[in-house]
Parts: sequence; structure tokens; C-alpha cells
Amino acid sequence: MDLSFSEEDEAYRAELRQWLQDNLGGGGENANAMMKAAESGGDGVEDPLAGARAWPRKLHEAGYVGLAWPKEYGGQDASFTQQVICADEMARVRTPPLINTIGLSIIGPTLVQHGSDEQKKRFLPRILRADDLWCQGFSEPEAGSDLASLRCRAEIDGDEFVVNGQKVWTSLATISDWIFMLVRTDPDAPKREGISYLLADMKTPGITVRPLRNAAGGIHFSEVFFDNVRVPRENLVGELNGGWQIARSSLDHERSGLSGVVALEETLGRLWRMASRLDRGDRKAVLEPSTRRALAQHWIEIEGLRHLGFRTLSNQIAGKPPGAGSSVGKLFASEVRSQMTRTALRIEGPLAPIGKRSPHVVDRGRWHAAYFDALAHSIGGGTSEIMRNVIAEKVLELPRPAED
Amino acid sequence: MDFNLSEEQEALQEMACDFIRERWPTDHAREALDKRPAVIGEEVWQEILEMGWLGVAAGEDVGGIGGDVLTAAVLSQEAGRGVLPGPFQSSLIATIAVDRSGNEVIRSELVPRLIDGSLRATVAIEEPGGRYGPDAIAAEVRAGADGWRLSGSKLLVPDADAAALLIVGARTPDGLGWVRVRSDAEGVEIRKMERMDAQACSEVVFENARVEGDALLGDERSLREAYDIWTVLLAADLLGSAEASLELTRRYAIERVQFGRPIGTFQAVSHRLADNLVDVEIGRSLLYGACLALDEKRDNAAPLVSAAKAWLSDAAVAAAESALQIHGGVGFTWEYDVHLHMRRSRCNAAILGDADHHRDRVAAYMDESWVPPVKA
Repeated sequence: MDLSFSEEDEAYRAELRQWLQDNLGGGGENANAMMKAAESGGDGVEDPLAGARAWPRKLHEAGYVGLAWPKEYGGQDASFTQQVICADEMARVRTPPLINTIGLSIIGPTLVQHGSDEQKKRFLPRILRADDLWCQGFSEPEAGSDLASLRCRAEIDGDEFVVNGQKVWTSLATISDWIFMLVRTDPDAPKREGISYLLADMKTPGITVRPLRNAAGGIHFSEVFFDNVRVPRENLVGELNGGWQIARSSLDHERSGLSGVVALEETLGRLWRMASRLDRGDRKAVLEPSTRRALAQHWIEIEGLRHLGFRTLSNQIAGKPPGAGSSVGKLFASEVRSQMTRTALRIEGPLAPIGKRSPHVVDRGRWHAAYFDALAHSIGGGTSEIMRNVIAEKVLELPRPAED
Repeated sequence: MDFNLSEEQEALQEMACDFIRERWPTDHAREALDKRPAVIGEEVWQEILEMGWLGVAAGEDVGGIGGDVLTAAVLSQEAGRGVLPGPFQSSLIATIAVDRSGNEVIRSELVPRLIDGSLRATVAIEEPGGRYGPDAIAAEVRAGADGWRLSGSKLLVPDADAAALLIVGARTPDGLGWVRVRSDAEGVEIRKMERMDAQACSEVVFENARVEGDALLGDERSLREAYDIWTVLLAADLLGSAEASLELTRRYAIERVQFGRPIGTFQAVSHRLADNLVDVEIGRSLLYGACLALDEKRDNAAPLVSAAKAWLSDAAVAAAESALQIHGGVGFTWEYDVHLHMRRSRCNAAILGDADHHRDRVAAYMDESWVPPVKA
């Protein structure tokens, strides 16, 4: 049993660390602020996202995005361990979120695995350079957890698809250039066998984006309406009616969840510091036994996730199936995240309701934002309830209830 | 990066699991609850000794196979899964404690005899008074005219009634350490008691009892290390119990049909089991981490040991309670194995530090040593 990385990998880490030290601070951290500004309008600036694109472009030029992709399309063909190291080092210095994250982590890998040569050549480099920003058109008002029931229709007319319908919860739709979507191309087939995977230019006539304001007050996702939108046939990914399998197929990138562990640990560190500074009567919050035990439990949970990630990574490196680790890790990580934000508000005690405009606001209100955020994360990308279904069916091999 | 069991460890685990299932089926564990105390029958005990299990983590130079803490943990896990009682666990930790005591003379004299079973020993650390661990030790060794004398009380000493030698943690003039006391020495009173899972344990009272030898068996460092190893072995035992409870329930949920379908198709059942599975996988990961940290003597070994014990204490009890609830009425019968794992989990959850104690230990580590990755 061995937790170390090879000399080669450690050299890679050292190089990356140095690069981050030299390059972070050159506008990278402004990307966050720019992204927020871009989402809310633009204000007549020619490319309001220019600042937000600068950082991912820099990363791409240095070879620190698209790690798992083949070199011929601009990727790095990096090993699993290098992928882990890269994510780890980025998390440690808290690099800003990437504006092209959807392209890098979802549609990009999908095209690597299932796209035609033309699609790969056309789209992958533009994803890597953040020239094209992508959003995901999957969920619909009537198709959330039950995504296979989606209704958005695409009918073939000559060498085009004509798309009609609606998508919802489409993150970053307001700033995206392209959308990848699941559409129904055969309404008579069993529901999972009549779905296709389609790419559409967001500037195509007939596409309307209506931003939604979320419960936390921000604008992040939107409704997207399709009214006789014409999409070229060559924008079909994979086979006609083979879209469901494509969306579900396992992709060859690192799945240990280790990249999330650093962020959680860093959050715990902030939580400990907050508790150390906060007065609860005649002593600091961090000296209260119930608070100490709650924080200790989070430390335990994070170490559990970390070591679970090591096991999953080890399986991947050895070419074995990842085991239960992936689904367990996903569910557990989102629960831990939620619990930590609850702990934060408990620690704040009587100060918890104070949101703004007072010297009594704790940590500039970050824990309120984190609380809302965490709640959303147990829903988006697969609800915790669905995760439990997956664990029950795939790992415990319990029978699946028959669908009515 | 290879954070899984080695092929040898996997083979050992499979072999141990098969052996225990065959030679110690759960009926024996159930009968032992009535026979009291629950101990491994002499025939099976001899087979265990012959396989060399007690030497799994002892040095090759003293008759062991030189395995690491993780290898010992794997055997403990199977003992938990198969509800294997004493004197296995106590003999195993006694061997490890002596092997790692740092006293080369005693080590080479005793470890071979501990491994082959010709000398039976157990370990005594916890005391009455409601606290856990070496820090709570009040038993004291004083130098007398004719050697050292031990006074104090120990609680929950496993298999003391069957041990010839007691390895006792005590305060000495030079700080905490280990001493050896013969169980039949003058001034030693062994008061047998029973655990809820019928495993044999005793309260042992020492009144100026004669200590063997004129030197410590081991110092504070070796005492704390052995306590941590014992804790991690118990965590492994809890993992085995949790897995057994979960597997029983998984099978039941597939077979038991009510309202026209297997009860495992109801989310109240399947989601509860999914949560138990998450607990088990996180627990397994923490256990491996703790074992590796102990073996590599890392700085974070102590909090990882506490993490594993706290987590698996909660996980095993939760899995046992799920088992009882999901089995419904039959889960509450003597004949079903549910209560066997419940009893063992409940006991082990409270021994060598319960979950709260270990969370407190982690909090202390966070206070004193932890450096989170926070950008200033």
C-alpha cells in the first residue's frame, strides 16, 4: 500500500506549482468578478467576457486544461495521477472558476469519446481556448430526475433538424455560444431509445433565453425556448436515437473526487477560524464541546472522502472498474458540504440571521451564500435521492421497482 | 499510488473469512451467548494457532510473518464479520504489544510463546472512572524493597480469566509505561464479568501486586502506540460487523416480498441501506488510512485512528439497527443473526474510546497540529 506519486509526477507537481505562483495574480482572480458582470448583462462592452476568458486561455497555453484529451485535439493525454495533481494544486491556491468549465468537463469529453472527426476538429480547440462557451440543455419542466421522459422534439427535414420545445435550469445560458442537448427524435420508440444528442448554435433564429432568478437571489440558470429552430444534420453526435447512451457513458477522466477534497478542507479551515474568533458569551465558539465535535466530525468526513478517493484512483490506475467509490463519493461529498454550511450557521448562533450592512455580519455573509449553494448542489447534477437509487441498484444490487 | 489491499492481504482475508464461516458458524456464536462466556472452542483455537494468526503482525525474527498493521486489521475485520470471540482479539493485541514494546530481551523470550499459544496473555489499559485511554490511567507502579509493586484497578480486561500473563499500562516513576504481572500473583484479584455480547472480560484489582522483572516492558511511546493499534483493530472488527449486518439485510430485502414486491424496492428500505453502504465504504477508507499512517509513523496517525474508530463505531451500530428494523419481526428473534452483530457492534462501539471521545481527540489535534490549506 503506497500513497506516494512517482518522481515524474512529483516533478510535474513542482513545475505546476511554480507556474501558478508566477501566473496567478495577473488578472486570473478577476475572472470571478468579470463572470458575474457578464452574466448580468454586459453594459455595452464589446466582449464583456474578455477578462473571464483570459485565465482559461492562459491555462490552455501552458497545457493545464483538457488534461485527459488526446494531444491531437489540443489535450495533454495526461495520466490519472497528473489529472489529480493538477486539480489538487489548482484547488490549493484557489484558482478562479473557469468560465468554460461546462465545455471542458462535459461536452468536451463527450465529443472526445463520441464526436465525429469533423466535430472534434471544429469544436475541441475552441472549447480549450474559451472561444466558445457551452451550456447544457438536458432538463425540462416535465423531465428533471426522470430525464428520459424529455419532450423537446427534433424532426428531420431534409438535411436539418427542426427543434421545438423548452429546456430549463440551463446554467450560463445567457453567456453561451453553443448548447448541447438531448432531444426526442423518435416519439414512438421506448423512451430511452428515441433520444438524440444534438449541438446547436445559440445564435440560431428561434432560440430565446429567459434568465431565472434563483432562491439565493442570483441569476445563474435560465429557461431556453426553441421555436422551429433549424439545426444542421452534421450537428448530431453519434447515432440517431443513440443519445441516451452517449449522455450516460462513462468517460475516461479521473473520477476519484479528490479534487473536491481540498476545497472542502479549505472550507473547514475557514470554519475553524470563524469559530475561533466568534464570541459565544464568555468564550470563543471553538471551545464549546458541541461545536468542537461537529468540526471534528467534518474533519473525519473529509479524511474519509480523501481516502475513498485514493481507493478509486488506485482502481482507475490499475485499469479496474472504479467500484462503489464514484457514486458513494458523489453523494457523500454533497452531504458533507451541506452539513458544513449548517454547522456554520449553528456556530453563528444569534448572528446567523444577519445578512448585510452591519459590523456584526460574520465573515462578510459567506456562510449564507455557502448554505444556499450547498442546498442547490444536492439537487443539481443528480439529486441525492437519485444517487441513493443508483447505489441501491448498482452497488447493493437491490431490485428496481417496476415503472408504471 | 496504490491504496488497496495487496494480493497477499486479499488472499489472507478470503482464507480467514472461509475458515471462520466453516469452523465457527454463527450457531456457535449464538450458543455461546447461553453458555457464557463466549470463547473459541479449544479445537478451533488450536487450528487458529497453527495457522499462525497471532503472529501476523509480529517480526519474523520472533516467529511472526512480519506483516503490517493493515494485515492484522484484515484478520480483525473477519473476526467481526464472523462473530469470533476471545481469546483471539486479546491474544493478538498482547502479541503486538510485546513485539513492539522496545524491550528486545523480553520480546525474544515471550513473542514466540505468545504466537504458538503456549503462553496466554492479555492487555489491561482502561480503568473504572468513566474516561478512556492512557491519559486516564491511575494505576501506579512503585519501587518496593523486593521489586516493583502495582496498585490500582483495570476494567473490561478481555479474557483475563484465561490469561497467565497480564500486560498492564500504569504510571511509573518515569512516566507512563507497561509492566508484566502474572495473573496468579499475590495481590491480583480477577473479577469476571460479561459483556452484552457475552465475550469474556474482567475487572482486575491490583493491591501491591508483584511486577515481573525489574524493568518496564515498554515506555509511554510504546503504550500509546499499542493502544492506537488496538483501537484500529477494533475499528476493523466494527467494519466486519457493519458489513455482516448490511449483507444480511441486503439479502433479506431481495427475498422478502410484501405488497406484491421485494421490500428492497421501497425507497424507505433501499435508501436506508444505501446510507449504510456509504458509511461502510467511508469507514473502510478511513481504516486503511489509519493503518497506513500507523505503519508509516505519520504525524496524522493518531487523528486518523480516532477518525476510523469514531466513524466505524457509529456505522456498525447504524447498520445493526437498520438490520433489525428492516428484518421486521424476525429480526427480533433469537434464531436470526441480527442480534449477534448488534450486540458485538454495541459493545465495541463503546470500548477503547466511543465516538464522542474520539471526536474530542480529533478536535484536540485540529487545535494543536492541523494546518488546513487556507490562503492567508
